[in-house]
Amino acid sequence: MAANTVPGAPRSPTIVPVLVVLALGIALPFLLTSGFHLRLAMLVWIYAILCMGFNLLYGYSGQISLGSPAFYAIGGYAFAMLQTMLGMGPVSAFVGSLLLVAVLSLLIGLPLLRLRTHYLAMATLAFMLVQNGVANRWINFTGGQSGVAVPPLEWGGEPIGRMGIYFVILALAAAVFIFHDFLIRSHLGRAMQAIRDDETAAQALGVKVTRMKLAVLVLSAVMAAIAGVCFGITSLRVDPSLSEFHVLVSLLTIVVVGGLGTRFGPILGSIIVVLLPQLLHEFGELETVVYGLFILLFLLFLPHGLSGLLERREWRLRRTEKKPAPAVTRNLKEELP
Amino acid sequence: MLMKLSYLLLAGLTNGSVYGLIGLSLSVIYGSSRVINFAQGEFVMLGAMCAVLFMVTLALPWPLAMLAMIAVVVVAALALDYGVYRPLMKRKAAPLTIMIGTLAGAIVVYGLAFLLWGPDQRYVPPVLSLTPMRIGFLVTNAQQISLIAIFFAFLVATWYLLYRTRFGLTVRATGVNPKVALLMGIRSERIVQFSFIFSATISGVAGMMVGPLLGGHVGMGLLLTVKGFMAAILGGLGSPFAAAAGGIAIGMMEALMAGYGTSLYAEPAIFVLILLVLIVRPYGLLGDYEAERR
Repeated sequence: MAANTVPGAPRSPTIVPVLVVLALGIALPFLLTSGFHLRLAMLVWIYAILCMGFNLLYGYSGQISLGSPAFYAIGGYAFAMLQTMLGMGPVSAFVGSLLLVAVLSLLIGLPLLRLRTHYLAMATLAFMLVQNGVANRWINFTGGQSGVAVPPLEWGGEPIGRMGIYFVILALAAAVFIFHDFLIRSHLGRAMQAIRDDETAAQALGVKVTRMKLAVLVLSAVMAAIAGVCFGITSLRVDPSLSEFHVLVSLLTIVVVGGLGTRFGPILGSIIVVLLPQLLHEFGELETVVYGLFILLFLLFLPHGLSGLLERREWRLRRTEKKPAPAVTRNLKEELP
Repeated sequence: MLMKLSYLLLAGLTNGSVYGLIGLSLSVIYGSSRVINFAQGEFVMLGAMCAVLFMVTLALPWPLAMLAMIAVVVVAALALDYGVYRPLMKRKAAPLTIMIGTLAGAIVVYGLAFLLWGPDQRYVPPVLSLTPMRIGFLVTNAQQISLIAIFFAFLVATWYLLYRTRFGLTVRATGVNPKVALLMGIRSERIVQFSFIFSATISGVAGMMVGPLLGGHVGMGLLLTVKGFMAAILGGLGSPFAAAAGGIAIGMMEALMAGYGTSLYAEPAIFVLILLVLIVRPYGLLGDYEAERR
């Protein structure tokens, strides 16, 4: 069923658009004047990292896990605690938190990936609620509501300024983005899509389904943890709000608005979701209503999201250039709404 | 000792009835349309908040208030049907996309309720008396008893409707295969619409009854939706009765854990338990129906 809704990924070369996006990212802080805008830009990249992991997991492999915010929070907490409690340096704390999340997601994934569709969604949601509950309630360890302070990043004894932190986050986002893009274009990306469209068929074709699903889950959890660490270094504090429901709603909105199983979807979606509340401020109390209606309109009128719109057009152009046989054209027309 | 246990079990049964009713209504919708409705808890919230609106602000007697409340939730259910379910079905959206659509619907309902009632906790008037009464060694009140009674009444009504009437047969047929059902002359869209209205009514009534016991505020829907889901998943999504049983189980566990352990960790512990159950039985405790379907 998912086959109808997600476009098959076009495998056009994307090095140029990727470089354009990254160049825009580098130019951005020089164009923005206030610190608030820079913070919004950082949030865009943080959400983009988080959602690229989710995109691989749900958009490409068809495994809906609502537990991403939990790994996002755990990554942030681990980064903070490894520094404050064990006295690690930021780099080793970063690596340590990613390893921790990788191991944890492996342990969670082994039993849970037996579940399908709604059952998997609910089980991972339960995991998120457990994580959030513990973060909120184990006050001696996690600081409860007020969370844990993250030591500011330093370079040669001097704390790094806002701009520097932006570039640290941009570098991490760029790494994740390029990796995400590489993975999608490789045979692994096609294997993931095969799992999404028909697990049994994929298995018959020699895709190691279980191993692949587990690998993607761990990967997406690690990406979420990177996002959590980035959030920690921008806000200098991590608290239970990282794994609250509104993060999950933002996450789902980003992948839907940006486009499920598309290459630039997570970034386009993040831009919309971070900036939209700023624009909706003038609606005052109507803000929430308008926000919900906006998601609905996107679902109804742009079923493949913003990125789907762009990539699809590109795909169609490429197809028509090749002048396919009539039979193929008819098939394509049936596929395209 | 026995007093405490029975008190806890009664409290568990009360909350469990609400979770069970939400689970029941979720699985009625799921049964006919394969859609998980993320806005189910918002119907409960609407039920409780409409009790505030109609019984306090407008000072209507409770039977009238209940009818007015049902009108409101039915309008909300129809809006969800026409605004989310049908257009997305026309686009052949995946079930999980429709789930995200109902989440958006829930955000809209929450936003509208926020405009009307604001963020504060509201006093929800009881429909029946809240004065304590004794039955044997149990201390309870009429509202609590009636909530549990309503739970069993809806359970029986749903069973009768689904398994003892011709109409129920068409509902179940739609759930098994909407296209074939359509070919057999069943208007599948109407059936789905009916299931939305039916389950919204159940949830609204549950909300009106539980409002005075839980307290009402506009943000209450979300956690109730989640617990309703957990109930449905724990029991098994395929059958309304399994879902209702799951709800009772969750309510009981919650009460027992709060009574004998710490109430602080009751909620996370429930979710851990549900995770464990799902690992052992991936289709829920009573979920054979669903397993058979595949």
